[in-house]
Amino acid sequence: MTATEFDWAAVVAPSELPDVTDDPMSYERVVMNPGATWDYFAGHYDPEYARAVGQPTIFVNTMHVAGFVDRVVTEWAGPFSRVVRRKVSLMASIYAGDTITGRRRITGKRRAGDRWLIDMHVDVVNQRGELCCPADVTLDVSKAVER
Amino acid sequence: MNPPLSYEFVFGTYEDALKMVGYRSEPRVAATVVSGARIQMFAATVRDPNPGYWDRNFAERTWGGLIAPPAMLMGWLIPPPWEPTGRPPVPSIAVRIPLPGTSFVNASNEAEFLDPIREGDRLTVVEEVVSVSPEKTTRLGTGHFVETLETYRRDDGIPVATNRNTLFRFTPAEQA
Repeated sequence: MTATEFDWAAVVAPSELPDVTDDPMSYERVVMNPGATWDYFAGHYDPEYARAVGQPTIFVNTMHVAGFVDRVVTEWAGPFSRVVRRKVSLMASIYAGDTITGRRRITGKRRAGDRWLIDMHVDVVNQRGELCCPADVTLDVSKAVER
Repeated sequence: MNPPLSYEFVFGTYEDALKMVGYRSEPRVAATVVSGARIQMFAATVRDPNPGYWDRNFAERTWGGLIAPPAMLMGWLIPPPWEPTGRPPVPSIAVRIPLPGTSFVNASNEAEFLDPIREGDRLTVVEEVVSVSPEKTTRLGTGHFVETLETYRRDDGIPVATNRNTLFRFTPAEQA
């Protein structure tokens, strides 16, 4: 599927999509997030603080996890899609030095009023295969369908 | 180990915290408008090539302007780490609830995006304390789960998003 075509009829629910593995979570990327979001909680930039509160090193914030989830669903549906709902559970932290993968599946497709919606589930796992953040997302693909 | 001012916690007992359940804050206005520079810094962080964040022409044609990544929502209301007036930044209500915990981690977050947030929008938030759990012990330590609900509005008063967040305010196990 490319940015210019979206075939509603071809969307199969439920179905699995290929995994997306992110670039490694460097220290630089962990602190880029406060640069963008101004979330200067010490756990996101100070390894000494992180260790003092029982974490091995600095970890990404919720906005970063949510941003990765949004990215891997909209990369699939294309830039005319929009996230309208997202629930993320933070079961385990994602640390500097980790590499995360998004395991995506389509869980439903439905009409709501005049909108065309797709429900998806994304499991964000780390390099050891541990489930860090399961997420449920609803995408509005009306603009993509009606183009 | 000194967290910066913006995360200075208010301390108290569980009974103190329960008195805040149902509390609804005055509207708090973002210090700055939604900006392309921060949108692109965030998109670079999460490696998101979505043209809605990067391509002004595409974004204008499709959404009426560059759009903010939905995941940045909470960030627009975080005050800058320093201000010339010296006014202490107002932290999120979740850390202003009086509780014994000396740290926190986020537990879950559910957001709804009613309308796209665009470059130039100035957001206002109203925060509500939904619930504070009895004391719980997890592998991190002992503390309380705090659920809050935020409603974000644009300058014209139109609600653009709601955000239900649960965090675990705790004292690390080795300090207890």
